[in-house]
Amino acid sequence: MKPLHDSTTPPGTPDDEGATGPRTAGAASGAASSAGAAAPVIDVRGLRFRYPGAETDALGGLDLSVESAEFVAVVGANGSGKSTLARLLGGLETPAGAMRAVACGHDLLTDDGRMAARREVGVLFQNPENQLVAECVEDDVAFGLENLAWAPERMRARVDEMLARFGLTGLRDREPHLLSGGQKQRTALAGVLAVPRRVLVLDEPTAMLDPAGRGEVLEAVAALRRDGLAVVFVTQEMDEVVGADRVVALERGAVVYAGDVPGLFEDVGLVRRLGLGLPAAGELALELAALGRPLEPLPLTLDALVAALGASG
Amino acid sequence: MKASIAQYYPGDSIVHRLDARAKFVAVATLAVALFVRDSFAGLAVFASAGVVAYGLSGVPVAWFWRAFRPLLWLIGLTFLTQLLFAPGEPFFSWWIFDFSWEGLQFAAFLSLRLLVLVLIGSVLTLTTAPLALTDGLAWLGRPLRRLRVPTDELALMVTIALRFIPTLLVELDQIMRAQRARGAEFGSGGPIRRAKALVPVLTPLFVLSFRRADELALAMEARCYQPGIVRTRLHPLRAGMPDAVLLAVTAAIVVAGLLV
Amino acid sequence: MSAASSDGRAVSSRSAPGIAAGMSVRCDGIGFSYAEAHTPIPALRSVTFELAAGRSLALLGPSGSGKSTLLQVIKGLDTPEAGTVALDGLRPDAPGYDAARREVGLVFQTPELQLFATSAREDVAFGPRRLGRPEEEVQAAVEEAMELVGLPPEVFGGRHPYALSGGEQRRLALAGVLAMRPRLLLLDEPFVSLDPATRRELVRILVRLRSGGVTLVLATHDVDLAWALCDDLLVLDGGRVVASGPWDAGEAGRALRAAGRLREPFLVELWRRLGRDAAAAPPRTAAEAAEALR
Repeated sequence: MKPLHDSTTPPGTPDDEGATGPRTAGAASGAASSAGAAAPVIDVRGLRFRYPGAETDALGGLDLSVESAEFVAVVGANGSGKSTLARLLGGLETPAGAMRAVACGHDLLTDDGRMAARREVGVLFQNPENQLVAECVEDDVAFGLENLAWAPERMRARVDEMLARFGLTGLRDREPHLLSGGQKQRTALAGVLAVPRRVLVLDEPTAMLDPAGRGEVLEAVAALRRDGLAVVFVTQEMDEVVGADRVVALERGAVVYAGDVPGLFEDVGLVRRLGLGLPAAGELALELAALGRPLEPLPLTLDALVAALGASG
Repeated sequence: MKASIAQYYPGDSIVHRLDARAKFVAVATLAVALFVRDSFAGLAVFASAGVVAYGLSGVPVAWFWRAFRPLLWLIGLTFLTQLLFAPGEPFFSWWIFDFSWEGLQFAAFLSLRLLVLVLIGSVLTLTTAPLALTDGLAWLGRPLRRLRVPTDELALMVTIALRFIPTLLVELDQIMRAQRARGAEFGSGGPIRRAKALVPVLTPLFVLSFRRADELALAMEARCYQPGIVRTRLHPLRAGMPDAVLLAVTAAIVVAGLLV
Repeated sequence: MSAASSDGRAVSSRSAPGIAAGMSVRCDGIGFSYAEAHTPIPALRSVTFELAAGRSLALLGPSGSGKSTLLQVIKGLDTPEAGTVALDGLRPDAPGYDAARREVGLVFQTPELQLFATSAREDVAFGPRRLGRPEEEVQAAVEEAMELVGLPPEVFGGRHPYALSGGEQRRLALAGVLAMRPRLLLLDEPFVSLDPATRRELVRILVRLRSGGVTLVLATHDVDLAWALCDDLLVLDGGRVVASGPWDAGEAGRALRAAGRLREPFLVELWRRLGRDAAAAPPRTAAEAAEALR
């Protein structure tokens, strides 16, 4: 199967004359910059953002760098700025300023750069209901390609590929309101990735799903990761973080931790402060720590907890 | 709850496979002819055309009936008002109403005409996916772009509206139930009280819809949508020989209907 | 059985302020199907169970198993095609049944979607006003309910519901139901799409209600939170009861879980792995577990 981020097909190349305009230059430069494999796909220094009318910055000078094929988790409580970050990385908001803000070689500080970034950085949002535009699954998967004016035959092939990949082939004609939450979110994911992407940003994609739907989405994301797509996974649930290459913790718009996953769990105080959702083993370990029996690193699975209790007891 | 207003019956009949634009033009032409011609003979010609088209569509009668039933009272109402208020020599009077043969004939003609119109229109909506219909209308409306009417954007808006109607109906039902659980009552009392009772339902529904519009716009931008761009379609409109035949046959029916 | 007076107002001495004493509920052979346009989907088939006053019931089962429908039938928003719902020992034809039904509170999934008034206080007051209670009683109920969910009325009362955070909205919506002083509280997936901090806060509120004596029915996917909060278990699958009864970790509990194809609660499994299950019943909460393990 063709990788999702196949750079042999320049992303978003229009097949029809009409859709080109000035943005073609951006897409072309994106394809060129992907040749330089060493450059990180996301490279942000001192990124600031403030919502209109707000008194404080939603993001105040944030640094983030993501290599290609890297899986980076972004955690933080509500209002920590993680959703804002997701939108900025996708070229969907205008930064207030930054020393450097580059996504897939496109400068997020310029209008053209953001437009170009939208073609290579895919963003999946939290509410599956409010992302589906079309009247049936396959039309929704095609929406991004229609906007990029792909020729119908090529679009057909790509849509079929995405449907198969996300297990949606049998649901292709289904109307969105007849889908389960997990199916909706998989449809949205297929639609985001139908446009060839180099980075996928997920903004709490499982927060509104039941356990079955959550499992479906996490499984799909795990498969993407195996294929080497760079993933920025924004979440509040700790067990979704465990397998990440790196984790970045935000608090009030600033990075308070950036490093490997075990490192975050070593700081029990920080984990508590971030208000993260811990798996049951972690919750119990925090309670134990409060009673004077800290288990470090924080166990997150039943096995780890049993082992830690055995070792320390 | 029944959450679909579209009466589209998915299928693969010859009528289904015809191009949405050709079908729309054919139906519009027949509708105009239907209103120009005022004789039972003409009506019979157009009615047979409608029946044949419906027969070719393969849509089950039960399905057609489900879509058609709500319109029945409209036809019935037309019949009654015409019957009661049409001028003519009365053969029977009751209270303020006069019944005349002319009135009866006129009422029968008008309601039959409406019936045929509904039949012909239904063949279009029963065999054409709403999306294809919207696309077809957008294409036919293209000349309006010169007048700066954003036909493609309008078509997309209609598509999105159609997609969200079932969702909205479910949400409406949920909110009404939730407010009923808090003691709200709907449909009792005078009109003002009834309108007031709807505030706890419509307010959340509006708020929900505004939030949805925001999130949807963002999700569309994230998938590279911009107003004014030229889009391609996964299911492009394709007109061919059968569509030309349809238009030719339609022309023949119109001529026949007007001349009989 | 129930410590409430006949007019439905709580008089129980052990109730916390604003919490009414519980009511029993018994479902007998409930059958219900959605009137779908083409294919009627059987939503409930012969559902029978009993829940004593003041106890809490975990209603578990996969999506589409009929959990929400059962809650709506108990509240009386849907009329069952077969069977009866007895409240407080009263059958539907008994005098006083309607009054009992008004004391059933139903918190819908994502209840913040129903907030509509221009201030938090007004929104919470909607329910008790609709019950026709005198205004001073309404105001007292509003204050107690807001206090109970951790939204002090002097701070939050005047705020616009839509200006609150998602977690605050969820708690405000809960207050809107609690202000009606329900003696049976039905909750439909109360933890869905909540951030972890609000989830914990909500658990604390439910613990408070439970110890105040309210009868609780909790439809949820979260087995661990259900274990922490519920005495009894009812598992639905395809609209049928596949397991029901007291929820303990012993033999009965295991059989129930096998029938219901449920993952075991984490703490039950932990206790077994640690070999402690023979000596003592597994703890219900992480705090209890930590106390035992310290």
